Amino acid sequence: MSFYECLKAYPEGSASASRLALTAKRLGYRGLIICNQEPSKVFRPEAADRIKGISLTIGAEIKATNIRALRGRILALRGSYPFLAVQGVTEETVRAACEDPSVDLLLHPCDGRRPFTIASARAARLNRVAIGFDLSPLMRLRGSSRARWLEATKRNLKLARKFDLALVITANARSHLDLRAPRDLLALAEVAGFDPGEAAAALQLPGKLVELNRKKWLGPGVELL
Amino acid sequence: MRSRLPVLRTRRRYLAFALEAEGEIQPNELMGEIHSSQFSLFGDAGAAKNRLKLISFDGRFGLLRCHHIYIQDTRAILASICSINGIRVALRTKGVFGTIKSATEKYIPQLGKISAENDGRRIELEEVSGWIIRTHGLEVDLCPDDRNKTKGSDTRYLGLTSFDLCGGHEDADGTPDGL
Repeated sequence: MSFYECLKAYPEGSASASRLALTAKRLGYRGLIICNQEPSKVFRPEAADRIKGISLTIGAEIKATNIRALRGRILALRGSYPFLAVQGVTEETVRAACEDPSVDLLLHPCDGRRPFTIASARAARLNRVAIGFDLSPLMRLRGSSRARWLEATKRNLKLARKFDLALVITANARSHLDLRAPRDLLALAEVAGFDPGEAAAALQLPGKLVELNRKKWLGPGVELL
Repeated sequence: MRSRLPVLRTRRRYLAFALEAEGEIQPNELMGEIHSSQFSLFGDAGAAKNRLKLISFDGRFGLLRCHHIYIQDTRAILASICSINGIRVALRTKGVFGTIKSATEKYIPQLGKISAENDGRRIELEEVSGWIIRTHGLEVDLCPDDRNKTKGSDTRYLGLTSFDLCGGHEDADGTPDGL
């Protein structure tokens, strides 16, 4: 199955694109999407092309504290990169990201204080924005903080299912040591409350989104061949 | 009393895993962390249903015994470990087997040669500079001069490949790993 993973490469992470590609290929991924906040500064992405059998896509991640900055970054990056993820920081930016059809993926911070709202879920459904679940807290946190994260994740998942939103799971790896094999990630997703089939589809979705974005669209449903 | 009837015996599976770490990990440290992760994730009741036992561990590859219906849980336990005694690690499941023999034959290879700590070579590029800590095939672990380079990811070393560094240094000495 063609599993894809979204991650950060050096200088925002601590492993180069080629090292991540080498590790991911060994683990059984079909492709990687590098989502750095400064995608033009990724360290030697051309070195990763020498690793055969895995496709590497440079996408972009936006982390903005206000709506104006978020919209500016979306406008600046959309034309150049085939994959655009938004890290939800405040409730307003989450809502603004859901209302923008240019956004591919919204990584929602699963904490109790900033719940995923019904209005955002409805907007995400309308604009086909996928909701990303970052599973790294399941690996990094322990005890009560992890229990809180699990509770918030289950609540967000319930809402995403209710509005039939597209789901994505990621380990949000910052180094090759954070990467997990697809089956291990699926096992973690099951602990977080995902169904097995749902989790497998969520791990394949980023690849499908990149494939769709690489086509030349003249308008909704009209492709230039 | 332990049952001698084969039908009453618990069915076991063996998980072969590979450990990637920034330092050396002892088997007792690893098992301590696996148990801690299991208790944290599934609690005492969950741990009682799925008794884990480390069958073998050679520093890189290992074999873990678990109950046959809790394979997914065991995978999640291994995947949720990210550091042991402050050393960053990654535990990756290689496969699941019914017998120790088949697991050992198929998935526990001979230990690959990893060069010793700090092999004395230095990398100086515009974006990154530091000492090479270890190399393994194409993989290169680099200790950066600027420790802020690994900030945020909790790792000690930068993970690079020889493709990143090939020809980057003016005095590249033509070694087999291309540095």
